[in-house]
Amino acid sequence: MILTMAWRNLWRRKRRTLITSSTVAIGLWVAMSFAGIADYSYTKMINTSASMGYGHVSVEPADYINSPTFNKRIADAEGLRDEIMKTEGITHASIKIIGQGMFGTATKAVGGLMLGIDPSRERPTENLFLRSIVEGTPFNNADSREVVVGKKLAEKLNLKIGKKLVYTATDATGNIVSEMARVSAIFKTGEETVDGSTILLPINQLRRTLHYGPRDATLISIFIDDQRQAPRIRTMLQKKLNPAGIDIWTWRETQHELAGTIALDRTLHNLFQLFVWLLVAAGILDAILMSVLERKREMGVMMAIGMSPGALFRLVIIESFLTALLGLGIGILINTPWYWYMSTTGIDLSSMVPEGYGAGGVLVDPVIKIRIYKESVAITTVSFFSLTLLAGLYPAFKASRVPPVESMKTS
Amino acid sequence: MKILSMALRNLGRNRTRTAITVFSMAFAGFIMVLYMAMAEGFSHTLEKNTIGMNLGEVQIHAEGYRSDPDLYKRIENPAAVMEMMRAKGFHCVPRLYGFGLAAFGNSSSGVWLRGVDLVNEPTVTMISGNVLSGSWLENSDPKGVVIGRKLAHTLGLKPGDETVVISQASDGSMANDIYRVRGILKTVGDAIDQSGFFMLDSEFRRLMAVPEGVHEIAMVRGDRTWDLGQATDAAKKALPGLEVKNWKELQPILARLMDLMGVAVSFMMVIAYSAVGMIILNAMLMNVFERIREFGIMKALGVSPWRIFWLINAEALITSVFAGVITLAFGIPSALHFQEKGIDLSAFSPSITLSGMAMDTVFHFRVTPHVLIMPVLFMFALVVIATLYPSIKAAVIRPLEALHHQ
Amino acid sequence: MSKTKRALFAAIVVSLAFCAMARAETQRQKAERIIGEIDDMWRGESSHGVISMRVQTRNYTRTMRMEAWSKGKDYTLVRIVLPLKEKGTATLKTKNEIYTYLPQTDRTIRLNSGMMMGSWMGSHFTNDDLVKESRLLDDYSAEVTFEGVRNGKSIIEFTLLPKPEAAVVWGKVALTVVDGKIPLKETYYDEEMQVARTLDFSAVKDLSGRTVPSVLHMTPADKPDEFTEIIYESIRFNMNLDGSLFSIASLRRK
Repeated sequence: MILTMAWRNLWRRKRRTLITSSTVAIGLWVAMSFAGIADYSYTKMINTSASMGYGHVSVEPADYINSPTFNKRIADAEGLRDEIMKTEGITHASIKIIGQGMFGTATKAVGGLMLGIDPSRERPTENLFLRSIVEGTPFNNADSREVVVGKKLAEKLNLKIGKKLVYTATDATGNIVSEMARVSAIFKTGEETVDGSTILLPINQLRRTLHYGPRDATLISIFIDDQRQAPRIRTMLQKKLNPAGIDIWTWRETQHELAGTIALDRTLHNLFQLFVWLLVAAGILDAILMSVLERKREMGVMMAIGMSPGALFRLVIIESFLTALLGLGIGILINTPWYWYMSTTGIDLSSMVPEGYGAGGVLVDPVIKIRIYKESVAITTVSFFSLTLLAGLYPAFKASRVPPVESMKTS
Repeated sequence: MKILSMALRNLGRNRTRTAITVFSMAFAGFIMVLYMAMAEGFSHTLEKNTIGMNLGEVQIHAEGYRSDPDLYKRIENPAAVMEMMRAKGFHCVPRLYGFGLAAFGNSSSGVWLRGVDLVNEPTVTMISGNVLSGSWLENSDPKGVVIGRKLAHTLGLKPGDETVVISQASDGSMANDIYRVRGILKTVGDAIDQSGFFMLDSEFRRLMAVPEGVHEIAMVRGDRTWDLGQATDAAKKALPGLEVKNWKELQPILARLMDLMGVAVSFMMVIAYSAVGMIILNAMLMNVFERIREFGIMKALGVSPWRIFWLINAEALITSVFAGVITLAFGIPSALHFQEKGIDLSAFSPSITLSGMAMDTVFHFRVTPHVLIMPVLFMFALVVIATLYPSIKAAVIRPLEALHHQ
Repeated sequence: MSKTKRALFAAIVVSLAFCAMARAETQRQKAERIIGEIDDMWRGESSHGVISMRVQTRNYTRTMRMEAWSKGKDYTLVRIVLPLKEKGTATLKTKNEIYTYLPQTDRTIRLNSGMMMGSWMGSHFTNDDLVKESRLLDDYSAEVTFEGVRNGKSIIEFTLLPKPEAAVVWGKVALTVVDGKIPLKETYYDEEMQVARTLDFSAVKDLSGRTVPSVLHMTPADKPDEFTEIIYESIRFNMNLDGSLFSIASLRRK
């Protein structure tokens, strides 16, 4: 009965109800959109950063993260990798050797990073470099004398497909070693420093050059399909592998600059969301309070004919709840096509964002899309309803307290 | 002013309603002030940290130095250049640059050697205050050096440790000497963190056999209201043989980032103000339409449409004035509080970088007149717009219609 | 043809083929022999000499005098005598490692991969050159491409192409030898077959019983007015050199 009354009350003031519900709907739209955009960007950046080498979870030699010297290796990395692949939730694991080296041609020599990879076990989905090949075909066996270089590096050293590069590095025992390789492909990630100083080598060839054991590696990069699971997977692996001599990290530790940047962004974002919520709450409070005050007389009459203060309280609360529900309804109508568009096509800002813009060391994708996590939806909706209910509390309280005679005095 | 007093009386008649309207508007305004202070703080911090720490606003180099840095490409007459620039209103500092190798124990690493002019550097950047551990350079300690955070980490250096530096001096001989680490810097940016090696300029000259000339002159405007573009042009005109660029030209990505941030903030402003606008619209509409019968009677009694129009608008204006006052009364102290204290993000990460430049981990808001005035002005504007429709409707409605309204 | 005639024909063809192959063998063997000799020209089992070096670049001119010892192909020690400011600076090469001793700071540093491409003592030679200098035959296969008279001298020109897996940056090296064993000119080409640097040999002298060019003049192709010149003032061969001379400890001796 109160429900019907509440509903009818709302429609007596059509305009106000609609405006208030629209405010709710817009607030919801704004909140969800920004949350969705944020979630999408963060996930994208984390995944991109993972594909730059370290994966979502990394297995490294002990203390390598603090002191990445040439003599630190994971013994029997291959065996460890097989163990890891048996774990649930892991989509892919690859083995890499990472090291510093000098790369030279007859033109000049520059320093940079060498990544030894096993082409049979690397896929473009998990490897940014393989995804960004612009010329040639990368090597397809782990033993060849081929190399894949960045575009900027190729320019600096005057390299073309088929030309040779001599790389010099320090091997496992500290000796200086040199080896030549022919360029089989060139990549361009867009991030200038990376393109100017990174090369990919076949892992077995690199193992031989550096005098590593045939199953050694510097790093096992583990990829998962939901980056938010990284901490959980890491704990699980720590228990399962019970490692001595190795460390297991998540992307937060291996890419701590990215983590910091995301934290900053998230904070700003949350503050903004808070503001939006508060504004919406103010709007609802404003409207409901007004409506209560106007109906003082009416409520006085209701109380006089026997309606309890509690019932009146519930009435107002339900009114505010229904307003919210209406707002939600409108919101869903607006939002659904919007989300559909944003999660598939998105807004392309590439004309506005400069090329090579990086934040936290990772290239930023200029196309904005939305990704809604079920949890975010749940949280947003719950906070929304709580807010509207809270906003309705004071007016409801006010309504229930009006003594009948008093209320009929005012006009 | 009859209209004004009538307006005031009307508002007073329904005190609660007026109060509610005023407070919800004031609340919205308050939120906006905080938000703008936050956005302003962000871009200011970004600028301060990236430019104020190392880059400076305008830099002068010898032609061709930037594309291919070389010990030999120097500004030959730095004193004359700086005097000219100072006369124009810049603060200047000369810098010496070189590249070498630093070794400690079994580790070695490439270093970016920087000769620092201790007297002038603080007039242009804040790097002297950015020491993480140990202390900054001292004229009395020529063998004392300050190094970047990651460099210290790579080599395993702490304040007090000694490191060998090797390089090729300008006469082709091998420059080498031993230096003691006086201090380690906080995060400044990728290049300095990974290889920054700061020493006294006199020591650099001795080590690298560079008695005269400098590699870079960094400047900031003495008067920050002098438009940066104009300042740069003035400098360029005065120095035809040298390369003069401001930070936007040197770091176009960062400049675009700032612009982008500006756009993003404006976008958010629009959204937020729309929400505020809704509230105000709601309030205004209710205020008028609930009293439409009243207005009808007034018209029936002969009050002109104009007067009704102005009456309603006067009420709206007075409401906004009250709201504005309250907004500022609460907004100013709150925003100032956050300007002082800021929000500490270091729990998330010891360092945050954007496009290779470091951000301070304590995020301060920033209060400027702009931050305070814009929300209030906007509120007024929104009120005016929101009141238009209802006030016009009330002004032209026919008395009979009004009596039967709703 | 009859059976016998066919057999004879086959035998002649085969022996002619053998002769041809043998001849080709000889050419390559000759190339290797000569180049091998050049590789060892300033070495021998051991050597001890005094060398001066002049470097001219756009930015500075340097003159140095050094004392150098070598043992086999793997060990070299070079110590600077002049200028006085740098006296005592020494470079030690053992197999694959290079160490430099700096008397000013009394420190020995082991060169890492990052420094290999850096210039040695401000000259146009890199540290890498020092490590690789005695390895022409290891890294290249040689062919004779010209034999005859040029400018009144009887010369042989060899073309050295890098072996498929050799870790050298050059595309080709052209070596001109006069009188059957004295190097005249060594030209280094990049992979596009453009000249990258040229080494000219001159002032042929008799040093301790060997006829060798005593002046090496290196010119980079992209900066023709720069050069590095090495002059062998005196050199002795095959004396008894103690292995301990080529140790880090001995680097520090002045």
